[in-house]
Amino acid sequence: MAVPIPTDVERFMAMGTRIELHRFGAAGADDALLAARRAIEAVDDALTIHRPSATTALNERLLAGETAPVDDPVLFDALVAIDAVHEATFGLFDPAADRRFAVAGWRGIIFDRAAARLCATTPVAFDFGGFGKGFALDRAGAVLRAAGIVSACLSAGESSIAVIGEHPLGGGWPFAVPHPSDPDDSLVQVELIDQSLSISATVGAGTAAPDRAAMLRPDDRAVITAPRCAVAVARTGALAEAMSTALLVADPERADRLIDQDRANRFLFDLPCATARASSARMALQ
Amino acid sequence: MTDTNFDLSRRSFLDRVLMAAAGAGMTAAAPWAAIAAGTAAATSDRVRIGVIGTGDRGRTLIQNINKTRNCMVAAICDNYEPHLTKARPYVGANTPVYADHRAMLEKGGLDALVIATPLNLHAKHVLDGFDAGLHVWCEKAMARTIPDCSAMVKRSQDSRKILQIGHQRMFHPTYLNALRRAKAGEIGSLTQIRASWHRNNSWRRPVPAGVSDRQINWRLYRDSSAGLMTELATHQLQVGNWFFDAVPTRVMGSGSICFWKDGREVYDHVALIYEYAGGRKLIYTSLLNNARYGCEEQIQGSKGTIEPELGRIFQEVPPKVLALQRMQKDVARGKKRAVPIGGATWFPELPVTTPGESLGWGEYDETMLQFEGFGEAVRANRALPGLLAQAYAASVASLLGEQAMDRGEALTWPTSLVTI
Repeated sequence: MAVPIPTDVERFMAMGTRIELHRFGAAGADDALLAARRAIEAVDDALTIHRPSATTALNERLLAGETAPVDDPVLFDALVAIDAVHEATFGLFDPAADRRFAVAGWRGIIFDRAAARLCATTPVAFDFGGFGKGFALDRAGAVLRAAGIVSACLSAGESSIAVIGEHPLGGGWPFAVPHPSDPDDSLVQVELIDQSLSISATVGAGTAAPDRAAMLRPDDRAVITAPRCAVAVARTGALAEAMSTALLVADPERADRLIDQDRANRFLFDLPCATARASSARMALQ
Repeated sequence: MTDTNFDLSRRSFLDRVLMAAAGAGMTAAAPWAAIAAGTAAATSDRVRIGVIGTGDRGRTLIQNINKTRNCMVAAICDNYEPHLTKARPYVGANTPVYADHRAMLEKGGLDALVIATPLNLHAKHVLDGFDAGLHVWCEKAMARTIPDCSAMVKRSQDSRKILQIGHQRMFHPTYLNALRRAKAGEIGSLTQIRASWHRNNSWRRPVPAGVSDRQINWRLYRDSSAGLMTELATHQLQVGNWFFDAVPTRVMGSGSICFWKDGREVYDHVALIYEYAGGRKLIYTSLLNNARYGCEEQIQGSKGTIEPELGRIFQEVPPKVLALQRMQKDVARGKKRAVPIGGATWFPELPVTTPGESLGWGEYDETMLQFEGFGEAVRANRALPGLLAQAYAASVASLLGEQAMDRGEALTWPTSLVTI
């Protein structure tokens, strides 16, 4: 008879959603999950714009046209990560894009890392939706790895996933993204090992929730309302999250370019349409 | 509308009432409905009705009486001439018109009265009607005080004359269908009803020359009305009692003149909790400066919700099985399968916005059907079963609520009521 695999779970609410941290196996420190929770809560505290935070303080300075110091280390690390993923997504992920200001965007911001300060050429404000959850899972994952955890699955609202190591029964962690109009069918299935996954969509429960920001294409300010779902797998949650957001708002040309870079890990579905399953990673579902 | 179309519309309406009234448990819950919908045949021997009070509501009632097959307006009465002038076009040219109801009663030639006068006059007009040997149909609420309500019931019993009160929701196919589905267990165990009647107007009518504000705006003054409680809440308290199949055990509440500080005496804001046996509650609010939530009764059970004014029934959405919870159980069983994720980002406890299912809509003539039922009862000298008990309890509940707010105390259901 197989010996049961020890499991442990930490569930809590943060970043406006349900966070679950599942640990499998006996390895690692006992308080590792709690420490990982604290890491996610620290990200929430730093990046939220729904209550006073380091980000809201930063936004106030930038909106006033002032140079803003970045004293909070979590916010600083987030900005460093954003600088990287902004480039990786051809600028389609842009936490400074804002419908209120026509020219606002990350490209108008000067990030002086050495001095830990920001200044902007135009009024600008950050909204870290479409990035924060993946970034938070990265920080929690780092805490768990440092604590010796070798098998874990982290979830933020079931739309942002990060796994550590292999599945407790061996091999990759299998995940399926359900079809929004047919729960018995799935859009795509993936297996992850030491990777993160992010799903972004313009349809489905939660998309009409209060305070949910519009999906905005940064360069032309187009609001994406067409039913779409994007899925991205990456080594980090920050990149997966930014990539799924970028795919969702991308025009066809840039969507194809992003997908062509990593066809096994990037998917875009135009909904509702589809029974057809194209071989291309960019699928129009009939 | 042609006569043929009217007959088809009428038949369709009555069929819906009969269908709803035929459900399991409905014979006991709404015994009046099938009788009222199943009997009225066209006849030349119509019940002759004298209408006291020909204001807006009285004229609406006259038009509904005119639609029936077994009743006719045989006289009208009002002490305000402009009301009579407006009512004359709705009755025959030779229909007698009176300024004093006593003269109308003395003249005779009537089988029944319909009373649509200010609330504080209901009891006198009803009792005078019984004294004249007539059956009486009276607008809700029954009377200005609980003792007056009881006196009306008692006199009806003693005189063996019918007393019927105007609660048209009891004849409304949507309400009957809603009750049928609740009785069938479709929304589970009913534990709470949230009812509201919210308007955004002063409820004040312009006062013509020659009459007093208290005559025209009698709803705003304490001696003639309990305001929102008797004019609006009583309808919804009847619905609450009906669906709970009980009367309240206790009521507590708060009332205030919060917005329309224009000299009125009745509350423009009321909020009450009516308790029922078993911990059930009816939570009631009515106000006159915000219409967002309008008029509705949200009948809440363990499996669903009915909103009869909206005409919809909603099933509870089953809780989502958490995907990672399932994965953990799989691992414990040594099983590995794809974990379905990303269906939705989880948001905390937002209102469910599922569209629900229609309870049925259409052009309804529930007020007309009330009168056909009344006419049938008068012919048979046998009241439609269940109606008066519902109306009596609703009126008592509304007046007890007023007392609870006035005193700032929780009041228990009176033990001195007349048994029906």
